[in-house]
Amino acid sequence: MGKNHPKVDDYVVSRVRALESLLLEKGLLAPDAVDRVVRRYEASTGPMIGARAVARAWRDAAYRARLLQQPTAALADLGVRYDRLVVVENTPAVHNLVVCTLCSCYPWDVMGLPPTWYKAPAYRSRAVSEPRAVLAEFGLVVPQEREVHVWDSSAELRYMVMPMLPPGAQDLSEDELASRITREALIGVAEVTLPARAG
Amino acid sequence: MNGAHDLGGMHGFGPVDPEPDEPVFHHDWERRVFALNLASGFLGQWNIDMSRYAREQMPAAEYLATTYYEHWLFGLEHLLVKKGLVKPEEIEARVAELRRQRVGRPAAGS
Amino acid sequence: MRVLKGADVEQVIRKSGGARVHVELPAKFKAGDRVVARNLHPLGHTRLPRYARGRRGVIDRDHGVFIFPDTHAAGTGQKPQHVYAVRFDARELWGEAAEPRQFVYLDLWESYLDPA
Repeated sequence: MGKNHPKVDDYVVSRVRALESLLLEKGLLAPDAVDRVVRRYEASTGPMIGARAVARAWRDAAYRARLLQQPTAALADLGVRYDRLVVVENTPAVHNLVVCTLCSCYPWDVMGLPPTWYKAPAYRSRAVSEPRAVLAEFGLVVPQEREVHVWDSSAELRYMVMPMLPPGAQDLSEDELASRITREALIGVAEVTLPARAG
Repeated sequence: MNGAHDLGGMHGFGPVDPEPDEPVFHHDWERRVFALNLASGFLGQWNIDMSRYAREQMPAAEYLATTYYEHWLFGLEHLLVKKGLVKPEEIEARVAELRRQRVGRPAAGS
Repeated sequence: MRVLKGADVEQVIRKSGGARVHVELPAKFKAGDRVVARNLHPLGHTRLPRYARGRRGVIDRDHGVFIFPDTHAAGTGQKPQHVYAVRFDARELWGEAAEPRQFVYLDLWESYLDPA
């Protein structure tokens, strides 16, 4: 609603340009800062840190325990300094889902910037009150016998789901597994699937 | 505050609407608003809790009818004005000036 | 006033977001404790959503000590305190018609909670 309205775009474009030029003039903004910030986040590796961590946890029981119990240390093993990740594990008994109802909190350092749908009112309002219906919209049906745990990121902790290892994954390398782990799976709106085998 | 941002449990927003393979930013102004927010935060004139509160103060009807980065734009202006770094009149004057420049340019390639 | 220069961006981003406070403070609650979220309706900033106010839950874990956003946003101090993951049954939040076997975990500062 409103996002593609030409008048709105013109209004915001003018306003953003005005602000940027004023801040530059007043010496409150360095000329190269905007481009550097943009490059840092636009080219970020997205969910790859999270995907690598999960893939390693799937292959290495000790790392799995570390990721769940000492996530800061587990991320440091991957060369990432981040002290506020909490990893929640999907099991046959529990499916986890992550949301930020109040704004859009998301583990940027581990999963990149969040998708638009995650930050929009439909998901933020419904993930906490009707998670199964939301998951069904994503094509994920959680059987009634399984519990659904929704984590509302209301403080400074950031949550990531550890999806379950898909069946038939035993022949795949850690890298191949990581390439199959999407940010949707790490948010909890999808499970990890493997491509169908040929023949 | 009991603002429109406090969305948990509200009804009426319809289905979640994921866009396949969406870009990180849909428009150049979005990426600039994002970067301006981060760069301005570094000035040390406010903290992250103040910046969240600033966005929450967008009038409810406006908050629900606008997009995510429009909320960020509102919040940034609010903070810059509140901290006396920029005056509202300066923003309006610059917006008008930039508009005049755009209108004055030939239409080709714009 | 410091200004963010392009060359500093990476380092600043890595160091930013320092809400965790490395100080030993006694924790009022522990995992398993029954709590009730306060019925607060401040005009200022808060991270206690309306849907949880006055609702009963159980402490799932203690996340440690963090800056308190309500006062930090108002410029009245950091007031560091423990933050807990609190588990709420969906039926407690949304009524008896809510789905069974559904739980919402909210991270709440100690100031938002009373023993139940």
